[in-house]
Amino acid sequence: MSGVIDVGARVPRKLTLLQRLYYPEIVRGLRVTIGHLLRNLANGRRLPTIQYPEQRRNYSGRFRGRHILKTREDGTFKCVACYMCQQACPAECITIVAGEHPRVAYEKYPVVFDIDMLRCVFCGFCVDACPKDAIWMTRDHEMAFFSRQDAIFSLDRLREKPEDSAKAGYGYRPYYPGDGTTPPTDAARMPVLPGSGERDRLRETRVPLPGRVAGPGPLNAPSTANRAVNPSRP
Amino acid sequence: MTAVVEAGALSAAAERLRRLLSRTPLESSVEVKDLDLPTLEVGPESWLALAKWLRDEPECRYDLLLDLAGVDNLRRRGRETRFESVAHLLSLTRNEHLRVKVLVPDAEDPVLPSAAGIWPAADWYEREAFDLFGLRFTGHPNLKRILCHDAFVGHPLRKDYAPGQRWMFTDADMEWPEWTKQTDERAGHFETQTISIGPAHPATHGIVHLIARLDGERIVRAETKIGYLHRCFEKMSETHTWNQVIPFTDRLNYISAMINGIAYVRTVESMLGVEIPERGRLVRTILSEFNRIMDHCVDIGANLVDIGALTSFWYYYQPREQIYDLIEACCGARLTVSYVRVGGLAIDVPEDFDARCRRLLETIPPFLDDMERLINNNRIARNRLQGTGVMTREQAIAWGITGPMLRSCGVPYDVRRSRPYDFYDRFDWDVPIATDGDNFSRYLVRMEEMRQSLKIIRQALDILPDKGAVSSDDWHVVLPPKDAVYHDMESLIYHFKLVMEGIRVPAGERYEWVEGANGELGFYAISTGGGGPYRLKVRPPCFPNMAAFEKIILGGTISDAIATLGTLNVIAGELDR
Repeated sequence: MSGVIDVGARVPRKLTLLQRLYYPEIVRGLRVTIGHLLRNLANGRRLPTIQYPEQRRNYSGRFRGRHILKTREDGTFKCVACYMCQQACPAECITIVAGEHPRVAYEKYPVVFDIDMLRCVFCGFCVDACPKDAIWMTRDHEMAFFSRQDAIFSLDRLREKPEDSAKAGYGYRPYYPGDGTTPPTDAARMPVLPGSGERDRLRETRVPLPGRVAGPGPLNAPSTANRAVNPSRP
Repeated sequence: MTAVVEAGALSAAAERLRRLLSRTPLESSVEVKDLDLPTLEVGPESWLALAKWLRDEPECRYDLLLDLAGVDNLRRRGRETRFESVAHLLSLTRNEHLRVKVLVPDAEDPVLPSAAGIWPAADWYEREAFDLFGLRFTGHPNLKRILCHDAFVGHPLRKDYAPGQRWMFTDADMEWPEWTKQTDERAGHFETQTISIGPAHPATHGIVHLIARLDGERIVRAETKIGYLHRCFEKMSETHTWNQVIPFTDRLNYISAMINGIAYVRTVESMLGVEIPERGRLVRTILSEFNRIMDHCVDIGANLVDIGALTSFWYYYQPREQIYDLIEACCGARLTVSYVRVGGLAIDVPEDFDARCRRLLETIPPFLDDMERLINNNRIARNRLQGTGVMTREQAIAWGITGPMLRSCGVPYDVRRSRPYDFYDRFDWDVPIATDGDNFSRYLVRMEEMRQSLKIIRQALDILPDKGAVSSDDWHVVLPPKDAVYHDMESLIYHFKLVMEGIRVPAGERYEWVEGANGELGFYAISTGGGGPYRLKVRPPCFPNMAAFEKIILGGTISDAIATLGTLNVIAGELDR
């Protein structure tokens, strides 16, 4: 904490005669601007402007650009059509229709997954909401369309393509500990922290806590470990 | 948590008000309650007497009307009347906030007296409440729509208004102020004419319509029309969850987008009583001060462009560009940041955050020095800025102005000082003021504020812990870490509940305020216990500035008006919401 300063009193109200003469001040002003010019000429890299189509800005690995849908190793979408991203989207730009996957292990998959890029506000809430690590964002932000229909990206345009990571680079991804961009390996998995409250309260009341539930294994591998197969299914 | 400390202090304040009121004839008609702020409830018949008493009573002196909002209680239990008009007042001498609710009994035709005669600032706020809720303020000088256009039918923020309706606006629907239709006694005189500046005029920076009557070169009467950028922020937030509102707040004051988000989540967090880790709060402080610098850069730069100094604009944009780089590295977007979340931040800052900030602390001051060398003793800038757009201290308070505008009139009111949130009380910094109240004073105050912000950032970086969480670990509020969501059923359930239903904010109401880049930025939120806000009212700092514009420019020339419009720092996104 400190005081209050009167900045109005610092600058004299009236200009001196020399300043009012105007020309000396022009010269002083030119000294500033020409100084900038010379410094910029000598070292072009300190210029904040870039020659856009030729030069491109190097955005961070958190950039929120065009979305991609991640795929499993066998090429199927990781998405299980749980509608979480559709629900989380503040702009209501995601439309999902779920279908039953022929492979029992995958259960559900998106028959339709549309993102209207003109509605999208690129907030990244869909990435935050996804429980399956299925939707990421890239650094690609140059999207121009000739029609509104063109702006609706469906499954084939959202599928991750090899050039995505090569050309544009991945952008906003689920939040991982560390630098926030590297997915954790199984060994470096964070210990599961109890949410404040619930577990502590249970512990206090000496209710036996369930142990850590074993996960379904590596995300990419189809797993049937802890899933009861519904006999009515084909 | 600040809420606990406050609750004790505020009870005393409410008790004091009750005691003071008991000495007046108003006692029987006013009910004193103690919510987050001391709250008075009154019927329309006693509202004016109470307002006058609150303003003039030497032990109250609520001289600044911060905000006036309508509330529709149609789907809210436990309220006596359907409509309320909620005013938030500030006593500059006592540094106290107060809420006054006027309960309007008639649901069909809600009528209450206008307080514009007591606080001139009420003028536009009441027009807004009329526009959005249909509250009819008797005795209001100019009660017509303000945010919605003239051909609009109905009152959109009423709970029974069907949101899908479209109302066509054509040129013929434009309602010109009455005085433009009246013939001047010297109407034939070629020097007296009514002109229209805007809506899309380069000097209005955003879309603002100024209608002015000129006598020669002097403006003798003026009126501003706003609402061209109205995007139903408040209506939309009622249909979204608490977290989903965050991207919308970025689009309020888009020049300093993050401060809006911080102000909003602080409101929700204080309703929840959730604790934010120190590191998260410090990062918020640092980034909001950087946002303040950007805002002032744009404001002064654009203002100088309007009066003909283009070079300075480019120089001012360089620090802004560098700050945007930092912000993009933190959250992945330059302008629409969506970085804060209820309970903390979306993601931890990058590892080189500290180094990046410190580099900025070195590169920004030379630009400020250059600017001062170019402008401070520049005769043209002086002639254009000094002595134009003058308002006195009393006028500024009556018009409800806060922020740099108020400080340039000699009132050292800064929220960071008057009610230090986060860590502002720990830092050593000064509140810059000036006494002239003209455009040049506002320029000087903003320049110094940028230096003070740098000072705050430096101190905040010094105490910023290297490691640690930036968000609360309360999974009822914050999404659990992704790794836990993938592998742990309990975390997945928390995750699912948060995404699908939103945060359960306890029923109640809250007004939280922070120092935005151009004044006190307040959010008034009402929760009914659902996943989203029942009503969310923004107190945009530039709204009263713009309301005062048509009064400040009287007697000046059009070119003075343009210079003044720049120093008001009016951001259309925030003005029209």
